[in-house]
Amino acid sequence: MSAARSFAERWALPLAIGALAVLMLLALGVGDLWLSPARVWAGLWHHDEVASVIIWNIRMPRMIVACLIGGALSSSGLVMQAYFRNSLASPGLLGVSSGGAAGAVVAIGFGWAAHSILMVPVMAIAGAFVATGAVLVLARSGASTERLLLAGVALNALLGAVTSYVLSNFTLSYERNAQIIFWLMGGLEDRTWEHALMAAPIVLGAVWLLPLGRPMDLLSLGAPEAQSLGVNVCGLRRQMLVLSTVLTALATAVAGTVGFVGLVVPHLLRLVVGPEHRRLVPLSLVGGATFVLACDLAGRAAGNLRLGIVTALVGGPFFLWLLRKRA
Amino acid sequence: MNALTAHHLMVPGRLRDVSLRLGPGRLIGLVGPNGSGKSTLLQALAGLLPAEGEVAWNGQPLGGIPIFDRARQLAWVPQEVQFEFGFSVRSVVAQGRYAHGDDGAGVDEALARMDLTTLAERPVNRLSGGERHRVLLARALATDAPIQVWDEPLAALDVRHALQTLALAHERRATGGTVVMSLHDLRLAHRLDEVVVLHEGALVAHGAPADVLTPSLLREVFGVQACQEPGLTLFL
Repeated sequence: MSAARSFAERWALPLAIGALAVLMLLALGVGDLWLSPARVWAGLWHHDEVASVIIWNIRMPRMIVACLIGGALSSSGLVMQAYFRNSLASPGLLGVSSGGAAGAVVAIGFGWAAHSILMVPVMAIAGAFVATGAVLVLARSGASTERLLLAGVALNALLGAVTSYVLSNFTLSYERNAQIIFWLMGGLEDRTWEHALMAAPIVLGAVWLLPLGRPMDLLSLGAPEAQSLGVNVCGLRRQMLVLSTVLTALATAVAGTVGFVGLVVPHLLRLVVGPEHRRLVPLSLVGGATFVLACDLAGRAAGNLRLGIVTALVGGPFFLWLLRKRA
Repeated sequence: MNALTAHHLMVPGRLRDVSLRLGPGRLIGLVGPNGSGKSTLLQALAGLLPAEGEVAWNGQPLGGIPIFDRARQLAWVPQEVQFEFGFSVRSVVAQGRYAHGDDGAGVDEALARMDLTTLAERPVNRLSGGERHRVLLARALATDAPIQVWDEPLAALDVRHALQTLALAHERRATGGTVVMSLHDLRLAHRLDEVVVLHEGALVAHGAPADVLTPSLLREVFGVQACQEPGLTLFL
């Protein structure tokens, strides 16, 4: 066990990066028109015109958005789990994703996004903060799993209703359902460079998050304990809340609510390398990107299933298994 | 130095105007009925609870000591902790070195002192209550902080580990350290240098165990009949 663990600790990150690289190549090559790795390479350097157009206009932005939201949602889940000291906390289950989606939809529905596309992520961040604030009021750190999950159920229902209501009032009837489905059950269809750019600050958040792994280890065993050991608990918690909320909001602003990523990925990684956040933070960024890219590819292979449906198909049973394991 | 002082320390609803000076180089027991404010006083002394009044470590007001430096001067052991994640025993004990740049110094020794060497790679969330408490004590030892504040360190331990822990506290005192611990076993309190008695959030007595743990005080504070032999309190 110990030898296997130390092997995993050493090789998990390089392996995850390798897997991500392979999936990225697949994401650029697989689609209605199959491109061989050689054509992908040629297309990347504009030596193959058809391949170049497909890659640079369609598949590359979608792939980048997938990687960014995967890393963001997975690391947000990890941070929330350490914050609430509860391994079932995640942006989707707590309603933070729904808050982001509601904010983004309000920006679009009221026409603010027409003035500046930046209003979408800004309002998504505002919406996500409202949800985070509500979760904090309803379930403090160390709250029971029941309380945390019930707060999430209520918030998800409420914010989902806001999203659906705004969309039903402000969209044309023929596209209404498609829009509601996009925001309630996220997807990566038609993602452009504009979306990739909107999600780009996720990279900054990831860099900010990296050095917080070690103090998060101490905090995950209790706030007074961590403070007595030398962690500036107030400062750390503030950073964790801001980061997890903003990362979730940015991911939601470009892809709608993609559930279960923040739950499944940190859990799987903990099973492999153990609970130490120094390792989990970088791994959750890479692992989340790998997981979402894999889900997107699987969805495309299965006849254009939406990303949110694929992650729910994987994450739903996983979540139920976790609940059963805890009980 | 290694002294702890409190001046008009108050926590609304839990602690009423406590002033005391503990140490340096002393072994101090904190006794009192359930809900008398023992844990609150320990946390307030450790600077982990918002409290009115003044707390000073080694004559320096607590507000002027940065959190990182505090961790090198004082170690606190909570009464109970929930471990959600399966950190190994060794990694939890090694957290005691966070304020020393995670240098890992003294971790093996702390594990050995608490009989945890064979459990070092086990996940903490699969340990028994007493074993978990030994992990917390080992983490406090690993900090090598001269002031040790332990909240009911003996309650969850079997008799051998309880006596070992007491011996360890004596050792720390011998090297100039100060150990403050809350406890319920008044017989063990006689093995300490001083006893502080709390009742309904107020300090009612502070002194040598034989002077403090008198039948009349025990009747007043705990509502029990007791008689006193030299170095021993017997309950009737």
